[in-house]
Amino acid sequence: MFKNYLKITWRNLLKNKSFTSINIAGLAVGMASAALILFWVQNEMSYDQFHEKKDRIYQMYNRSFFDGKLICWGTTPKPMMKALKQDYPQVEQAARTNNANYLFTLGDKRLTLTGYHTDADFLTMFSFPLIKGNINTALNSMKNIVITEKTAKKLFGDTEAMGKTIKIDSVDYFTVTGVMKDLPNNTRFSFEYLMPWSYWEKINGREDKNWGNNSVQTYALLKPGITEAYVNSRVKDITRTHSDIKDIDVFMHPQTKWRLYSKFENGKLVGGRITIIRLFSIIAGFILLIACINFMNLSTARSEKRAKEVGIRKVVGASKTSLIVQFLGESIMIALISGVVALILVAVSLPSFNQLTQKQLFIPFGNPFFWLVMVSFILFTGVLSGSYPALFLSSFAPVKVLKGTFKAAQSAFSPRKVLVVTQFTFAIVLIISTIIVKQQLDFAQNRDTGYKKDNLVYTFMSGTVDKNYALIRNELITSGAATSVTKTSAPMTEGWSDTWDYTWDGKQEGAKLDFNMFNVDADFSKTMNLKLVAGRDIDVKAYPSDSTAILLNEAAVKIMGFKDPIGQIVRNSDNGGSKFKVVGVIKDFILQSPYEPVKPMIIQGPKAWFNVIHYKLNPKNTTAENLKLAEDIFKKYNSEYPFDYHFVDDEYSKKFADEKQIGTLATLFAGLTIFISCLGLFGLATYMAQNRIKEIGVRKVLGASVLGVTTMLSKDFLKLVGVSFLVATPLAWYLMHMWLQGYSYRVDISVWVFAIAAFMTTLISIVTVSFQAVKAALTNPVKSLRSE
Amino acid sequence: MIKITNLEKFYRTEEVETIALNKLSMHVDTGEFVAIMGPSGCGKSTLLNILGMLDDPDEGSYVFNGIEVAQFNERKRADLRKHNIGFVFQSFNLIDELTVFENVELPLIYTGVSAAERVKRVEEVLDKMQIMHRRNHYPQQLSGGQQQRVAIARAVVNKPKLILADEPTGNLDSSNGNDVMELLTDLNEQGTTIIMVTHSEHDARYSHRIIRLLDGQTVMENIMV
Repeated sequence: MFKNYLKITWRNLLKNKSFTSINIAGLAVGMASAALILFWVQNEMSYDQFHEKKDRIYQMYNRSFFDGKLICWGTTPKPMMKALKQDYPQVEQAARTNNANYLFTLGDKRLTLTGYHTDADFLTMFSFPLIKGNINTALNSMKNIVITEKTAKKLFGDTEAMGKTIKIDSVDYFTVTGVMKDLPNNTRFSFEYLMPWSYWEKINGREDKNWGNNSVQTYALLKPGITEAYVNSRVKDITRTHSDIKDIDVFMHPQTKWRLYSKFENGKLVGGRITIIRLFSIIAGFILLIACINFMNLSTARSEKRAKEVGIRKVVGASKTSLIVQFLGESIMIALISGVVALILVAVSLPSFNQLTQKQLFIPFGNPFFWLVMVSFILFTGVLSGSYPALFLSSFAPVKVLKGTFKAAQSAFSPRKVLVVTQFTFAIVLIISTIIVKQQLDFAQNRDTGYKKDNLVYTFMSGTVDKNYALIRNELITSGAATSVTKTSAPMTEGWSDTWDYTWDGKQEGAKLDFNMFNVDADFSKTMNLKLVAGRDIDVKAYPSDSTAILLNEAAVKIMGFKDPIGQIVRNSDNGGSKFKVVGVIKDFILQSPYEPVKPMIIQGPKAWFNVIHYKLNPKNTTAENLKLAEDIFKKYNSEYPFDYHFVDDEYSKKFADEKQIGTLATLFAGLTIFISCLGLFGLATYMAQNRIKEIGVRKVLGASVLGVTTMLSKDFLKLVGVSFLVATPLAWYLMHMWLQGYSYRVDISVWVFAIAAFMTTLISIVTVSFQAVKAALTNPVKSLRSE
Repeated sequence: MIKITNLEKFYRTEEVETIALNKLSMHVDTGEFVAIMGPSGCGKSTLLNILGMLDDPDEGSYVFNGIEVAQFNERKRADLRKHNIGFVFQSFNLIDELTVFENVELPLIYTGVSAAERVKRVEEVLDKMQIMHRRNHYPQQLSGGQQQRVAIARAVVNKPKLILADEPTGNLDSSNGNDVMELLTDLNEQGTTIIMVTHSEHDARYSHRIIRLLDGQTVMENIMV
């Protein structure tokens, strides 16, 4: 019996080539889209789930009130690690990490590589296996280093790395005591090497015991059987008991939640990335559903053709069940073919998709579990798309179909119409969302940054740059490479430091107000084209007392409540209490998120610490010429290090990467959804034109025009698109309204967006349907009526 | 073999109720060849569908081989039908996507006959109908007469006790039509009961008895001599 079904399925597929290709194309594109999204979702869900001890690993978090709001953050003081191990019997192991950025020298090879300073427990807590070396001892002494396979390849090529010596920053020699298997594509950690924490202490000349400086990540492994609630009740007071800081609570954030649940609002965990995961899972489901709907629609539209077969089979003894099995078998077979096509599509598009999503996803062909999922996915698709047609077709009464009186019902709420409306509702929601995401992106990109980004370049101060700053600065200008140079504590696009350790006259007692800290040298506002709105720049040469001068931004003036900010005194607790005098106010500029209001900022002068040189390239030369000149100057005064530089506008545009990604993905999936929906619409229009061919013939004989017939045939479909639009509009508005709430600076949703979406959808559907409608209308009525 | 008593069947649309069968009673004995005649709309086809258990009556009794089937559900009717009744239609009703052989094989598949036995029986019946040489052709490649012979082959392959024929010669020329009638007569002589709906007095003469219907009632019975 099975063979008979297979045979008739196969012949049916071959006989109706256009039907078959529309069906398979739609299903394959739908399955491929869903599969891509599911690969992405699977990768996100698996983040750091491979650590054997994941259920016992936690990251330390702080919680405290700022300006009336309960804020949580995951950086901690450095001494917390030792305190956890010494004073908390629940903690089995603990390790800190912070970023390391060193020049690696090996013979002629010089590479700047980034890694972590960390404690020896790191290797035994987390499951990053070593190919060479022992996890228990690899980081035990200060001049030991563990490198990843990739780093080993970079430095040593194919020769053995283990036991070799590497020069770090021209001052120290490290021995490779471990080669680590490359990090998988689903971990939060990102490093090229690990070096012992003791080296950080050596470089900085001290063990940092300050509980007020939150600058490292601290991880703890709990002993088996210790619950999160219990340990949280114990560690809550760790900062209070070890320092005189009294307003910070500490808690532990479990590893299993790091990736997807790490958004805190008012001290409570409120979700995080999981929202996007859910959203995209829903989109994947809908795209697959839309593809299945196509199948259902086309199959039932063809029911008149299949009806005779159903009738005959019933007459010669087929039961309803055997017919359901037959039709389900057909749809599973189509799903199987589509699945194979989809797999090819996924394989072909995965590299571009990876580029788009910044991932390294791959198809795990060698994994039996993957094939199991694949087969279930195909069966699921086959059954989902085949269920309705199977029930529909198998229920035909043979008496009617064999007498030729059979006509599929054309009621106002036929399931087929509901299915088309579902498809188009989803497509329209996606179109509207895409437009609004793009608008929001444009809106934020066009926001005034407050300074000029063009031709602005920065270089990190490595090696001997700091020592030779005055010479470098001078030569950059005299050589004609730059028109203005300044040094700062951080790049213009990144907030590296903030503090609530400032007081001033009139500050409300007990108020905790956080300020961004930024340090600048002479020519800061000139180099950045920043506008001073009051007072003057810091200038130690002209005003010797400016060593304690500060600048405020407008947001700081506002929050501090100064009517006349110039001359005000601001204090902090540095060196047992320092006083600063406000000499100027600068216009707000965007340091961090372009979607948020500018945070209050206090800018200190040349006595503070510096990390970055910013310079404005000379517009009279080409960029290449300027960079060549700059490179020579940096090489001259910092010969050990390669020249690195960053364009501020490139770095700034990275702030939009997330939204651009969402925008591109939304566009992509909106496009695919429309494509699949239109395939379905095209197929339906084809069958409708065939089924009504006699009616069209009669109408033409009676005098209907081609235009009249075309309109008549297209009208029905446009009505459905209209209904879809009515359903989609409030839905899209609500979704995008919720999305925009995440941004302080956001566009208003305008009516025009909906008008454009309506126009686009109508246009696309008219083009899709009218092709068949015109063809039907042009048919000579003699032909269509002859067979009567 | 068949005994129906006071059989009624109505067709309802929103506004009109049409009576197709009006308290119809009749019987057919095993081995008989009965022709049913009457003008269009007299209820012939409705009667044939009910006799073939493709449709159920609204009122009355239908006893088939001693079993009351009027109240049977679809599954029971289908089961009884596939073992006892073969159908022949005016428009042949072959499945276009299946070959001659596969079309004839179909009833055997649904009654669960083994593959080897199926080949044997299909070949046997194709041979008898003299269309063996066409076994791998599709219905569209055959003439009307040949298609009807395939349809008859399909109707008899399961060795049914009863064959219901609905204007079996309606789409055929007279020569092919006579061939089909000869085939049915042969089957009848070998013991199969046949009930045939027809418009043709010529065809009706092949039968033993003619039942004439008008407005859903028997108006006359002719016994052929």
